[in-house]
Amino acid sequence: MNLALGRAGVTLGLAAAVLGVITVGYGLIRKRPDLVRLSRWYAALVFLGGFVAACAMESALITRDFTVKYVAENGSTKTPALYNFATMWGALEGSIILWALILGGYLVAVVLKFRKRLADPLVGWAVLTMLIVCVFFFGLMAGPANPFTGFSPPAGFDGPGPNPLLQNNLLMAFHPPMLYLGYVGFTVPFAFAIAALVTGRVGEGWLLATRRWTLIAWGFLTVGIILGSWWSYEVLGWGGYWAWDPVENASLLPWLTGTAYLHSVLVQERRGMLRVWNISLLCATFALTILGTWITRSGVLESVHAFTTSSIGIALISFFALIVFSTVGLIGWRGDRLRSPGRIDSPLSREGAFLANNVLFAAFAFVILLGTLFPLAVEALNDDRVSVGVPYFNRMTMPIGLTLLFLMAIAPVLPWRKASAELLRHRLIWPAWIGVGSMVFSVVVGARGFIPVLAFGLGGFAAGSAGRQIALATRRQGWRGFVGRANGGMVVHLGVIIIAMAFAASSSYVRQAEFTLTPGQSAKFAGHTLVYEGQNRKQESAKIVDQVLIRIDGTGPWAPSLNKFANGNQTIGTPSVRSTFKDDVALSVIDIRDGENGSVTIRVTVQPLIIWLWIGGGVMAFGTLLAVFPGRRRNPLDAVSAPLSMEPPKEPTGVTP
Amino acid sequence: MSSLIAKGSPLRRWGPWIALFVVAVGVLSIATFGTLSAPTAQDRVTTISNSVKCPVCSGESVAASNAPASQEIRRQIAEQVQQGQTDEEIRSFYAAKYGQGILLTPSASGVNALVWILPIVAFAIGIAALAIVFRRWSTMPAERATDEDRELVDSALRAEADDSDIDNDPHGEGASR
Repeated sequence: MNLALGRAGVTLGLAAAVLGVITVGYGLIRKRPDLVRLSRWYAALVFLGGFVAACAMESALITRDFTVKYVAENGSTKTPALYNFATMWGALEGSIILWALILGGYLVAVVLKFRKRLADPLVGWAVLTMLIVCVFFFGLMAGPANPFTGFSPPAGFDGPGPNPLLQNNLLMAFHPPMLYLGYVGFTVPFAFAIAALVTGRVGEGWLLATRRWTLIAWGFLTVGIILGSWWSYEVLGWGGYWAWDPVENASLLPWLTGTAYLHSVLVQERRGMLRVWNISLLCATFALTILGTWITRSGVLESVHAFTTSSIGIALISFFALIVFSTVGLIGWRGDRLRSPGRIDSPLSREGAFLANNVLFAAFAFVILLGTLFPLAVEALNDDRVSVGVPYFNRMTMPIGLTLLFLMAIAPVLPWRKASAELLRHRLIWPAWIGVGSMVFSVVVGARGFIPVLAFGLGGFAAGSAGRQIALATRRQGWRGFVGRANGGMVVHLGVIIIAMAFAASSSYVRQAEFTLTPGQSAKFAGHTLVYEGQNRKQESAKIVDQVLIRIDGTGPWAPSLNKFANGNQTIGTPSVRSTFKDDVALSVIDIRDGENGSVTIRVTVQPLIIWLWIGGGVMAFGTLLAVFPGRRRNPLDAVSAPLSMEPPKEPTGVTP
Repeated sequence: MSSLIAKGSPLRRWGPWIALFVVAVGVLSIATFGTLSAPTAQDRVTTISNSVKCPVCSGESVAASNAPASQEIRRQIAEQVQQGQTDEEIRSFYAAKYGQGILLTPSASGVNALVWILPIVAFAIGIAALAIVFRRWSTMPAERATDEDRELVDSALRAEADDSDIDNDPHGEGASR
């Protein structure tokens, strides 16, 4: 029943997408608006197909319908309800259903939002592009990643349940959907970029139409990445939260290019420049989401996340190649229209800062991409094994990160067109003192080392600039000084700064040690006292939990544990973390030795400011919401930059209103 | 002396920045050369095991992994640190035992050097491209508004004269300067 329903959903979605592509494509080429307008029905059917498939899968999971092979392989009668629900995105085939469902949702949202402009060729081509992407993903489900393969379970069969790591933490229910909402969300601006290229309407219209969509996708991606990092901190138990793992890198890559785009697009909106660059960034962002899926799901790179191996690798990488070649081809074809007449007067200007931002983000993305794919390339060319790991990424990205912080301090106060030293001296003095103040503070509380203290200084500087902009905006506009893109953007900056500071502090001052303790014994480490009190065994439906009870500085007991799952012989540790605003003490059990008077080996990781990573993430999400909130409409007649001078300027300030 | 601190004098204008610079350099030198407790043996073990890959798992460092093989290597590293071997000696010991692939920091020789050099090359190209573009822009004749343009704009503005508050804030700054 579920099997048939699921297959019906997939078939419906695929058929609707294929027919939609044919109808809308024919209508666009033959200039038949009546056919193009039919896209709304195809969109609804595609979404319905995805929805039916998702419902069938959830229903199969909830009723433990083992005639569905996916459920037989990933479900279990012992799995608790929530993790059982989340199992849909716990393995490859199910996660493609989620992808298709979200894609269908975005498609319907686009069709609804642009319902009055459906026959407009720009919207028509955008919907067509989205339908083509739908054909690909529903095609995956119909072919190489079919989630509704049948299985005939023997009597009394019970599945192994999801990967034990995926049923250990609540975040599993939120991190993948958020990430996918981000990944898939970039399809919308990508589709409009393609439509702009095809129709030749490469002006700013499509940018304005999609800027809120881009921001929302970016916000979801941000939240998804941070939740993923939190999940890894709470579950994996090695004391860290970011391992530069290929899959983490795969999610960071589109984030980096997307962030670059969010900034450089402002230059195009104001000055009509950088058209090729913006389209390339957007297409790169979308292509990188597909490449990321390929990295995650094909198992081509070894990683703790690549819990699946499959044959869809070829499909994904071909789709990636198709995207890259068609965008490069289209950009080449439209080259003449994409040229823009403007110029940037001075590197020391808002647009100059955005260009610098873009070079840095591009370099950042390049380092990550290179480091991630390098082992693969070397193995293919040289048949040699190399590993590129945490030390490489930390060393290479640190200077880029510091420069970005510096830029974040300068850029917000820069005017468009041209700035003078005088102006910067004026506007930056207080932010700069805040930066120096934060360095003094950090040294007084005991921070040492050039790089981290410099990072705290630059963070304070950047926070000062962002704070200055918010203060000025609220003084002028009241509460509206917090909303709108520019002001919300400054709140996002504050979130980024909080994360950067937490990252700098935790990675510079991390202390880690292992202790073997007998009951009653205590250990002192990094200013904390740990007392091992004893053990506790809990029997849960899917696992046996052996807890080790430890008091940290008299609080607790904290209970890191080892979990033995009934199905499969894996033993998975679950760490326990005591968080304060100052530092985190993370405990994980390495070994419980039976019979040796209950002695245990635990790993203790003490890192400062960890909690601020998650707070910073919240601030970023909040800032994105503020940025999405409609700001006051600018009067279209208002000047957006200093007037052109009649004579050669006498004073190079360029700010005289 | 009074002329130096007079309004508009360079010292008056840049004085706060000079003070700021001095304080910043002072703080940073304390941070750099101040007494930082030397890394303990345990810290060294952590650092080294973070740069050695777990031989049996996929993509995890020895520090992160809980596999028995990793536990054994951690114990071994602790011993080697105890014996007074340097970080480099310990790392090359594992590289000799398991192959270069065991080190999470690729070596800077041979093909592997590319992973270090390429980003720098790419960054240099990016900066060079920016420099070229700016050069081209600066040689472009600057657009100047002619009287004709002004008239056109004025007439357009008159035609669509908007009574709403046209805010006089070309840079979105909001500051009175």
